[in-house]
Amino acid sequence: MPALVGIYDAPGPVAECARRLRGRGFTRLEIYAPAAFPELDTALDEKPSKVRIWTLIGGLLGVTTGYAMTIWMSYDWPVTIGGKPFASIPTYTIIGFELTILFGGLATLLGLLVVGRLPYGRFGKNDRAYSARFSAEEFGLVVECRERDVQEVDALLRDHQAKEVSLVEP
Amino acid sequence: MPAMSLAGAMRPADPPGADSQVNRDLLRVMEGISPGYLLLLAATVLSVVAAGGVWIWQVYLGLGVGGYAHPIFWGVYIVTFVFWVGIAHAGTLISAILYLFRAKWRNAINRSAEAMTVFAVLTAAQFLGIHVGRIWKSYFILPYPNQRGLWVNFRSPLEWDTFAISTYATISIVFFFIGLLPDIAIARDRARGLRKLLYTALALGWQGTARQWKSHSRAVLHLSGLATPLVLSVHSVVSWDFAMSIVPGWHATIFAPYFVAGAIFSGFAMVLTVMIPVRRIYGLEAYITDYHFENMTRFLLLTSWIVGYAYGFEYFVAWYSGVEAEQTAFWLRAFGPYWFSTWTMVFCNVIAPQLFWFKRLRTHVPTIFVVSTLINIGMWFERYVIIITSLGREYDPAVWGIYTPTWAELTIFAGSFGFFAMLFLLFMKLFPVIAISEVKELVIHERAHSGEAH
Repeated sequence: MPALVGIYDAPGPVAECARRLRGRGFTRLEIYAPAAFPELDTALDEKPSKVRIWTLIGGLLGVTTGYAMTIWMSYDWPVTIGGKPFASIPTYTIIGFELTILFGGLATLLGLLVVGRLPYGRFGKNDRAYSARFSAEEFGLVVECRERDVQEVDALLRDHQAKEVSLVEP
Repeated sequence: MPAMSLAGAMRPADPPGADSQVNRDLLRVMEGISPGYLLLLAATVLSVVAAGGVWIWQVYLGLGVGGYAHPIFWGVYIVTFVFWVGIAHAGTLISAILYLFRAKWRNAINRSAEAMTVFAVLTAAQFLGIHVGRIWKSYFILPYPNQRGLWVNFRSPLEWDTFAISTYATISIVFFFIGLLPDIAIARDRARGLRKLLYTALALGWQGTARQWKSHSRAVLHLSGLATPLVLSVHSVVSWDFAMSIVPGWHATIFAPYFVAGAIFSGFAMVLTVMIPVRRIYGLEAYITDYHFENMTRFLLLTSWIVGYAYGFEYFVAWYSGVEAEQTAFWLRAFGPYWFSTWTMVFCNVIAPQLFWFKRLRTHVPTIFVVSTLINIGMWFERYVIIITSLGREYDPAVWGIYTPTWAELTIFAGSFGFFAMLFLLFMKLFPVIAISEVKELVIHERAHSGEAH
């Protein structure tokens, strides 16, 4: 399928145009942006990012590991001090806390890589449309469509303030 | 096929030669190596090599090479360790806490502060190894399965410290790398040769797609949420290394907040001390403005008061507790053999920052540079006061002692500054010293709004 690339100067029109295109049934879309903009976060997918699940699972795994490790080790080599319980939960809280952060943070990194399809995840379908302009200050909206829709998409992109539109061959 | 002829008419035009102004300004810092830079780098490498040589000699002969003698077995190494851990706090504070508060002014300094965090933690961590005489047994601190079936003592603050520092090092590196990712991609698209190869590998194929930015924003938000309690916990745990003991002058509940405020204080001072010359040398005045420096000095003034309050309150509690050992320890801090370090600390940390009450001085760069340097000195002396005076004057006057740092300790101390500076110098030439994509966010916003409204 051919792909059309619209070049924009601002994130607002990109998001608007992407929504219009999705409304018309074009689903194979991609947006390139030079920085993070909240309006683009919902342009292709309204649901919140799945990275949050990764952080949650990592954090829970960390807190469980922290307490389980310390408590198990206390009972594996019990030290009797004045008949007190072998495990000292208040002091183990520090280990539990630190491991929550450690596992949660590493899981967040992993989540970013998996959900963001890194490394090299995008060297796939729309990669031919990427250009160094998008790491300057311009935005790109890439639409894959059938040959007969090219003109319609082209008009739509230009309607939303695209300053140029170009066609990339499959 | 009519569509194909259309395709021919719509061939992509070549990308314009002109790059964005922000990219050019900020990537320029990474280009070209001046003789001055090389000289400075050589000096730092030399100091690291000297410190390394002294350290090997110390491993061979033992810790007596330092000034360690009964009753003082925590000396300059631990002082310097706490100092660098403190420096490491500014980066996470600026990146995580100010991010959560949506303080946009952080954009100018967050990258360099994060880098300083990573380098300061790496510097600090070495001092644990240097301080432990038998370095080849330092892995004993980790809970690993062994033939004796023995586990580490999780009730010990030193064990907490191991977990806190290693977590902090890992998380600050992750945070630093995630923030750097889009900027590495910017550099990748513009680099040639060996650098292109390096950035291509490090950028992990980042293209700034909507999906990538969305997960990136989410990851930064979550890491900020995780790093905020972490940064408060790390220096609290370091303070408990002292406060959990019964040494007069250490055994105080105020230690955790007192240490955290001091860490932020010293970290901000270090960011200013480093960034003032960097801004001047590389002409970054358009990006790091006097407004940013002024905000930093306000933080310094605030934390200076918190630290000053803690100094005063320690004396109050020593008097109010009625414990004679505490009273003696604090009297001797101010008027004993180490009076010099105590009054240096008070002058640098409490009196000098009061200049920042005046707006004229908050925006006067030479004043900021001098005061922030004084604060760095004062904060090192603060840890010297806490550690040395307390250990030297414990309960029994028969075991009181005097500690003087030896040249070996001072060489390694100087080497730590060399190590930190060396990493920062290399960082400046390898990665953008200001977060380019975050600056662009502001630039594009401003352009869009000026276009619409006026």
